[in-house]
Amino acid sequence: MKGTEEENLLSEVTEKNYQYGFTTEIESDTIAPGLDESVIRTISKKKNEPDWLLDWRLEAFAAWSKMEEPEWAHVKYEKPDLQSISFYSAPKQKKELASLDEVDPELLKTMEKLGISIEEQKKLSGVAVDFVMDSVSVATSFKETLGEMGVIFCSLGEAIQEHPELVRKYLGTVVPQRDNYYAALNSAVFTDGSFCYIPKGVRCPMELSTYFRINQAGTGQFERTLIVAEEGSYVSYLEGCTAPQRDENQLHAAVVEIIAHDEAEVKYSTVQNWYPGDKDGKGGVFNFVTKRGICHRAAKISWTQVETGSAVTWKYPSCILKGDDSIGEFFSVAVTNNKQQADTGTKMIHLGKRTRSTIISKGISSGESQNSYRGLVQIHPGAENARNFSVCDSLLMTDRCGAHTFPYIEVKNPTAQIEHEATTSKIGEDQIFYCQQRGIEEEEAIGLIVKGYAKDVLNKLPMEFAVEAQKLLTISLEGSVG
Amino acid sequence: MSVFTEKFSATLPPPTRRSERWKYSPIAKLLKNDISISKEAAQGINGWPESISPNPVIRLEAYVAVFKNGIFESTLSDLPNSEGVECIPFSKLEQGGDLEFSNSYHKKEWVGELNDRYRQDGLYLKVHRNVKVDRPIIIHHLTDGMGVASFPKHFIRVEEGGCLNIVVWSSASDDSSGMYNGILEASLGPNASLSLEKVCNEGGKVFHFSHEHIVQERDSRLKIHTFTIKGDWVRNELEIISRGKGTDSVLNGAYLPVGTEHIDNHTTMDHTVSDGTSTELYRGIMYGNSTGVFNGKVFVRKDAQRTNAFQQNTNIVADRGASIYAKPELEIYADDVKCAHGCTVGQFDLDALFYIRSRGIDEQAAKALLVEAFLNDVLSSVTCSELREEILRLYSERHDW
Repeated sequence: MKGTEEENLLSEVTEKNYQYGFTTEIESDTIAPGLDESVIRTISKKKNEPDWLLDWRLEAFAAWSKMEEPEWAHVKYEKPDLQSISFYSAPKQKKELASLDEVDPELLKTMEKLGISIEEQKKLSGVAVDFVMDSVSVATSFKETLGEMGVIFCSLGEAIQEHPELVRKYLGTVVPQRDNYYAALNSAVFTDGSFCYIPKGVRCPMELSTYFRINQAGTGQFERTLIVAEEGSYVSYLEGCTAPQRDENQLHAAVVEIIAHDEAEVKYSTVQNWYPGDKDGKGGVFNFVTKRGICHRAAKISWTQVETGSAVTWKYPSCILKGDDSIGEFFSVAVTNNKQQADTGTKMIHLGKRTRSTIISKGISSGESQNSYRGLVQIHPGAENARNFSVCDSLLMTDRCGAHTFPYIEVKNPTAQIEHEATTSKIGEDQIFYCQQRGIEEEEAIGLIVKGYAKDVLNKLPMEFAVEAQKLLTISLEGSVG
Repeated sequence: MSVFTEKFSATLPPPTRRSERWKYSPIAKLLKNDISISKEAAQGINGWPESISPNPVIRLEAYVAVFKNGIFESTLSDLPNSEGVECIPFSKLEQGGDLEFSNSYHKKEWVGELNDRYRQDGLYLKVHRNVKVDRPIIIHHLTDGMGVASFPKHFIRVEEGGCLNIVVWSSASDDSSGMYNGILEASLGPNASLSLEKVCNEGGKVFHFSHEHIVQERDSRLKIHTFTIKGDWVRNELEIISRGKGTDSVLNGAYLPVGTEHIDNHTTMDHTVSDGTSTELYRGIMYGNSTGVFNGKVFVRKDAQRTNAFQQNTNIVADRGASIYAKPELEIYADDVKCAHGCTVGQFDLDALFYIRSRGIDEQAAKALLVEAFLNDVLSSVTCSELREEILRLYSERHDW
């Protein structure tokens, strides 16, 4: 592309404001900023939690107090001041809701702006939505349908009240309290999240979905999701995110735990489009997430993610392949633009015999962003005939961005077969030329090529998500190629 | 304070497992060793074991610079004495030459700082403009004795259009122990060519640390081979910096540890300017309870456009108890580049094994054939045939092919 034309296109996109940047004005019940033991006690009390959970939180807090913030990731940012954020913020609306009419109209508007009108979703898409707005779940649909099959899908807060035995049995078993700095912080102060339980042999009839949203200014979001799939069950879980525009950095430190019992299958899909900051790298969400699942015999966990948002991302959805014949999968598209930084990847821990894992990671960097893949494939001595296949491709869109690959391969068994490959390249001028020759404009051609490049991953997303993800991909990259 | 750090102090702390660069190669065992610098030089003792030839590649007509426990052995050495080649140990250098050490390794790493503080002798080698050195030069380093530390540092400059083949060979007698901490700094002028073969064939229990820092100017060609034949604990580090356009770098290596050996290869290929090419091929087979480590970094800096960087690391874990830690890395800050790395861990090809055995060859011989073929991709790019054959012979002798 010629100089001026390129500049025009570039500025068009970089000056495009964040589409989902708006603030909902709802009166919030927020506790004073800062973190100490009393804050944890307050959160626990406000949520009317049992004693064991408070003790569990306090143990996590004690462990966290001794930890240091990790610095090994290939990202640079100003560390968030944890004493200046409020650890609890709930929309002030506590009474039980019988129908959507009772929901605050402001909230409903927010949902509409996000394009997920609950009524519409209820009627048309057959998706049960557990909508989380600033930590507390406000609307849950399709609960009855799921209830008939014995599926529990509710907010974690509700689960703690209604199914304490299940929560107590599984909470922290995959991501222990002292797992890492942000996981420990989350364990101490998590406010809400989703809980999902699929009984033995049940194939969940619909995709379960949760929309997360960081709304209140100056609040951190500490979600905790717990998914338990009993023997032989199946569930597909969707998580999507958008956050309003803010100048100060917002911290998001979530924990997701998945337990897949014998022969169960869990498919976890994420589309993440949080506010990435403006074109100078001001503002944006810090996304420090711990996601991990454990597979028992012949179970399968599949992580699919499309990451386009957040100023700093630090996320490694992992699989512990504990049972024999279990399978772990990771499919990822990570797009970074402007000054965004992403350090993301996966960990596949092979413990059981004949365990298999597949990693497909597609990074796209543009603007002045830094996009890193960091992944671990670990074969333990007992993992006979383990198999791993990894592909990490990076696409560079400008001469100022960076694409990095840091795979870790640790093999302690002579029967393992590991293949890893990574490539880095830019979009071929010949490919663009070919499209242009056939009357497709450059920008469109680039969109086409990028979509083709990410197709391996996009294909893994559930239908509803795939459409949204493709739109996101196109929006994030419009005109960013030179 | 440990037994080791009491004798060898440094401002930098010894690396621990928490340090990313040393995560897979802990040095805790080294720190428990009582090691000191050999006093033989001061006492004027000159003993050289009969079992080890001063020229390790007897069939190869080459110049040799022999060092024992870090001290230059003039009687056993044969240095080039022709016009256009300056080759002299530092200890005999009169005006100090025009040494320009540009490496900052001693400021970054504990091992580097130790070498800087306790540096003994080393070779000063300068190849003048358009001079092609007629024979390979072998720098042979021997560790002989218990608890011996040696800290050699060599300096090589190949000026514009010059051509040099150098072999850095380290050996140790079977009852030796201690530490070898060697650094080689080289710079290649425009269109110069350097071929460097590093061979480690050390008996005994020596902690071997070697670091090569090489800067390449415009259109220069570099070829490095790192062969670890034998070594109880070996860490090879290469740092190649391409500072001029159109450089070509080849980094190959092979490691076949047995028993409880630990072999670590760290490579850094840094493309700072455009139009460079680098290819890297490392192959390893881990036997017994041995450990292999491979870390290959490729940097493509901003504006280093049209860089082609390719890296491949292939491993076989042959026995239960053996392990490999591989970490190929790419850090890319320019867009018009072609970079790729591949890394595999697997086994001997069962079909190939069956094919050979079905022709009446027993399993061990069949495996040996496969190993030789596996190694040959690395070995075949060694241009000097005498050296290539000797390395293959040593490998086959060690592994009883």
